[in-house]
Amino acid sequence: MTRFATSWAIFQGLLIEALPFLLLGVSIAGFARWFVPQSAWVKRLPRNPLLAPVVGALLGFALPACECGNVPVARRLLASGAPLGTGFGFLFAAPVLNPIVLASTWAAFPDQTWLLWARPIGAFLIAIALSTLLGLLPESRLLASALLEERRLNQPLSSVGLLQRRSGLVGVSSKVPEPRAANSSLRPAELLQHGTREFLSLLTLLVFGCALAAAVQTWLPRSWLLALGSSPTVSVLALMVLALVVSVCSSVDAFLALGFAAQVTPGALLAFLLLGPVVDLKLAGLFTVLLSTRAIAITALSASLLVLLIGQWVNLVQL
Amino acid sequence: MTSLTRIRQTPYLPPLVLLLWGWLLVWSSLSPRLDLLLNAVFHPVVAIAGVVLMVFGALQLRSVHRLKAPSAPLSWLVSAGVALLILLFPPSPSFSDLAANRTDNLPEAPRLSFFLPPEQRTLTEWVRLLRSQPDPKLHAGDPVRISGFVLQRVGEEPQLARLTVRCCLADATPAGLAIEWPENADPKPDQWLAINGTMTAKTRNGQLINVVKPSTITEIPRPERPLEP
Repeated sequence: MTRFATSWAIFQGLLIEALPFLLLGVSIAGFARWFVPQSAWVKRLPRNPLLAPVVGALLGFALPACECGNVPVARRLLASGAPLGTGFGFLFAAPVLNPIVLASTWAAFPDQTWLLWARPIGAFLIAIALSTLLGLLPESRLLASALLEERRLNQPLSSVGLLQRRSGLVGVSSKVPEPRAANSSLRPAELLQHGTREFLSLLTLLVFGCALAAAVQTWLPRSWLLALGSSPTVSVLALMVLALVVSVCSSVDAFLALGFAAQVTPGALLAFLLLGPVVDLKLAGLFTVLLSTRAIAITALSASLLVLLIGQWVNLVQL
Repeated sequence: MTSLTRIRQTPYLPPLVLLLWGWLLVWSSLSPRLDLLLNAVFHPVVAIAGVVLMVFGALQLRSVHRLKAPSAPLSWLVSAGVALLILLFPPSPSFSDLAANRTDNLPEAPRLSFFLPPEQRTLTEWVRLLRSQPDPKLHAGDPVRISGFVLQRVGEEPQLARLTVRCCLADATPAGLAIEWPENADPKPDQWLAINGTMTAKTRNGQLINVVKPSTITEIPRPERPLEP
């Protein structure tokens, strides 16, 4: 019973701390939709497979959101017809490549200059690699079905046929979102209604993720993970599992890492700071509004593998 | 039509759920709940988010009859249920249980700080000082006035401890001091105590460490802000 009470408190802590950031993300996505007609800027985004993720990754500097807040922004980008690479580049890199997170990393590790450049560069490389990898899958197997339908409605008929839009087909569910003229902007009341629906849908998934993270944290002693020692590979793996479980916001994870920085290898420390913003238990539900189950599995596995390799490489160079 | 379906189809449901969550955040900020869950830096952020959610909910209630809304997913009702449960059942974590699962990797102080005279140092400041100047004999004989909860780890002597938090309880890290408990003392996990005494250097498990020798031990209520930055 004591353990359940502790788990209930951790759940509340995680959820209440993450909620304002989710609200910030949904608000940014909503205001971007309102102020800028989507045709004006989505059409100008580069579609080059290399340049698109780079632009997406750098968008984080303009839209500072942690990993909960950037899911609705990335969803809005993809739904508006932005290139896949831009949406994914933003999704995976923005939680690190933004001024708040970089400043908190500097505040936590002012004397470890290598970490101050290794974290953003690592996050950037992971975002480019994941975007390129996911870009190999066809959209229909990559994106969540509701997002796919919304995205197709916002793409020109020259690139998406009527059959793909599922418009006018007999027997098709009527839940397909209504198409809007590309230049039209929403009335404030409509915008509020859309924002509310998006926030409430993401909130449910966040509740699920926080419950999972709180349960695993309570019943898996953290000391086991940190006790896994200073071996170059096992320590990286242990800190990766810790990042998955702890699920704290990327704007404060550097301060948490500071607590065990002296006990772990440098590669493990970097692995903790790189993996958490891309994949963690709290995000498990939120990602389902963006990606298919297969794509989530590919993302989690590839991100873990990349982080493990980066962590081992850092240990090889530093140790 | 079942009553559940009717509830899901009412256009008032989304703004009401929004208002409920907004109220939850505002109420958490007004009550001592946040002091138990989050670092104080985040308290204003939570309060502002709560007010914004309530304003959005109220604005939407005004315009709800003008817009067509599809039926709400069942999960929104579940989320409203969770919000009610959070409101009804405030957190009551066992700090001892939480701390016993975690290692003592205490983060550095959030800002540059001078070490105060011994009798003015908090428990966390003592632990930070002993880490930075690890010769136990250096502090032997110093007066100690600290307060904290009893941390009981399996197979170890109870310590007096505080939890430091950077973000929320999920990253809480314990800072504990060894105590030379008098024979008649019966420290129970999670009990809050104020201890006046002297710092001593003792050998425990073959290692010289600092141990607090209490002159008085007083049971105190849990402080309003039990978490430290």
